Amino acid sequence: MLRFTCCFRSAALTLLPTLALSGIALAANPQSGTAVEQQARVTWHQNIGRGYQALASDSEALLQQASAYCQQPSTDARNTLESAWKLAFGAWQQVRFVDFGPVETNNRAWQFQFWPDPKNLIARKADLLLKDDTAVNAETVSQAGVAVQGFPMLEYLLFDSRFNDGDHALPASTSCQLLVQVSSHVVDNSKQLAADWNDFGSHFLATGSYTHGTIRAAMTALEVAEERRLATPMGLRGNGKRSVYAADAWRSGSSLASIGASVSGLQDYFMPGLQIVLNAQGESDLAKRINRQFGEVREHFPEMDLVLAPMLEDDNAFRSLQGLYVDLSQLTTLINGEAATSLGVVRGFNSSDGD
Amino acid sequence: MSLSRRHFLAAFGGAIGATGMSLTGCSLLPAKTDSLKSREYVGASKLNNGGYAVHGLNTDGTACWQTLVEARCHGGCFRPHNAQVLIFERRPGWWFHVFNSRTGERLAHVKAAGGEHFYGHGVFSHDGRYLYTTASRYQRGDGIIAVYDAKAGYARVNTLDLQGIGPHELRLHPDGQTLVIALGGIKTHPDYDRIKMNLDSMAPALMLVDRSSGEIRARFSPSHHQLSCRHLDVTPRGQIYAGYQYQGPNYQAPPLIARYRDGHFEEIEFTGKVQPQLANYIASVAAHPQNDLVAVTAPRGGRALIFEGTSGRLLRNEAIIDGAGVQTLNGGDFLVTTGQGKLIKMGASGPAHELSTLPLHWDNHLV
Repeated sequence: MLRFTCCFRSAALTLLPTLALSGIALAANPQSGTAVEQQARVTWHQNIGRGYQALASDSEALLQQASAYCQQPSTDARNTLESAWKLAFGAWQQVRFVDFGPVETNNRAWQFQFWPDPKNLIARKADLLLKDDTAVNAETVSQAGVAVQGFPMLEYLLFDSRFNDGDHALPASTSCQLLVQVSSHVVDNSKQLAADWNDFGSHFLATGSYTHGTIRAAMTALEVAEERRLATPMGLRGNGKRSVYAADAWRSGSSLASIGASVSGLQDYFMPGLQIVLNAQGESDLAKRINRQFGEVREHFPEMDLVLAPMLEDDNAFRSLQGLYVDLSQLTTLINGEAATSLGVVRGFNSSDGD
Repeated sequence: MSLSRRHFLAAFGGAIGATGMSLTGCSLLPAKTDSLKSREYVGASKLNNGGYAVHGLNTDGTACWQTLVEARCHGGCFRPHNAQVLIFERRPGWWFHVFNSRTGERLAHVKAAGGEHFYGHGVFSHDGRYLYTTASRYQRGDGIIAVYDAKAGYARVNTLDLQGIGPHELRLHPDGQTLVIALGGIKTHPDYDRIKMNLDSMAPALMLVDRSSGEIRARFSPSHHQLSCRHLDVTPRGQIYAGYQYQGPNYQAPPLIARYRDGHFEEIEFTGKVQPQLANYIASVAAHPQNDLVAVTAPRGGRALIFEGTSGRLLRNEAIIDGAGVQTLNGGDFLVTTGQGKLIKMGASGPAHELSTLPLHWDNHLV
């Protein structure tokens, strides 16, 4: 029996995806957790891997559109490029909840999205890089720091109204170089992330603490979405003033769309694994309620093209934001409160944000 | 509980500039031993309403006072021969507070000098006059010790350059002259949240620095450049124990404790499952002045350990959720605070037990 368990364990590490999909029970051991937990992690690993692949391919498409636009600028090419940015940025939002594993390497998460940016470093950095028309190459971008290396810088170049009225507006040569080089940097990072995630699989599957770790990551993402990305710009937190600048992606008017993408990423990539552990805990009813609430949030979400800024100005529109906030906070309560309590997941004050 | 045989990794290869100096502590003041008898404890917290506070506590875990503060706080120090306790804002800290340690009344609120921020820790000269605090000149990231004269209303009187990045906790060696400094090695900038900007080129160290001349008398390097040396304690006999936070991949489990004694810098690694249990993160270190015990907290791993200083032998390995602050208690035990508001008594001779739970989150350190 001992020999069997031993062999099974080593096989399980390499064959887990197949085993899990075919519903075969997995061997439990103290380090990798119960078979159910392992099954959940198999599911998470596959789903998050899909999300990272989508990020890589959407980023690749963004780079192609950036190059095409800069070679032959036209209104159509610009529109296609802006759509490609929104798509790739949305793909990042879908996997943004993952705060462990290879996305931690070299501050990759920060490289994809430097936020919040209360000092407007994005604009300051762009102005600095473009002011004397010195050529921008890959080295410039890799040395320039996280405020330059990701989606917010591309968003600035594409959507910032002040920048678009200035001398350096696209398709100015140096600005195009920056656009293409930053896009290329995002592509390199996203491809490497997808490859590293694949390699990370055996450790993720063998390490039991990642079950709670993955749930904690989703809990943090929900809290950030509710509190910092929605409640703060709505003026429900902090100084009480409504301000679109507290949101992310305000330049492109994608603040709400990006929250929507994060919620759908949680539903598609996180929820299936959570459901496995909840069902095993006898909490299938709770799992159903969470699934229903995901549906509520997405159903009641304002149209994806709604821009946050005017909704903060207009009291009628603001009421629909309040509705969204209530839906999102109910989802947070179900996962961060009920599910976490039932599963014994603790998000520590010091363990998650110590010094 | 798991008992583990000790395992030392001598890190002589990484030690530089030991200058042959010896800090044996033979003529040292056992001040800390006596001061335990009727001392109070002070800790920073986040309240359930989202606000921040600093609290005074008795040894039995009852609260003596609570004072609200403007921002999240971190560590601090008592001022010798005075009923004052200082608490520093958390990195990047822009202020430190001076409280009456018995009543909690805030006596002073001192802002960091222009272009500088505090890291969250400080220590006084034995006479209680000079305050030494770790700080950053953040435009360049230079790590410094900022020196204040408490007698002159906390006027800034000196700056010691550490030729390094990210000094964090510090203590005064019992010789009264040598600052013992944990240099984390991580470059950050207040404009960039808490992003670590130099993970490839980190140069953490345990440093011994003369508090008057600023002379760097020794600089010991951990066995890996991503072992950020952050917290420490010093015994009345001058033995130093430091705790690391590893910045490398979490499937690795390098040693997280360093010890300096009799001129030698070594690392202590726990065997078996214990080392990975610590999750590469030590939050606080407390070396007991009345015995040979050292306690460390590992909140990411949900553990708190007690080990024998001389041998490195593990004596207790307790599962404590989010335990981070730790201090020594008169009689030989330790007091641990947790992010769940618990105060826990922990000793070598029996299981840990809870003294109290308050509706708040204790922050990283207990002073």
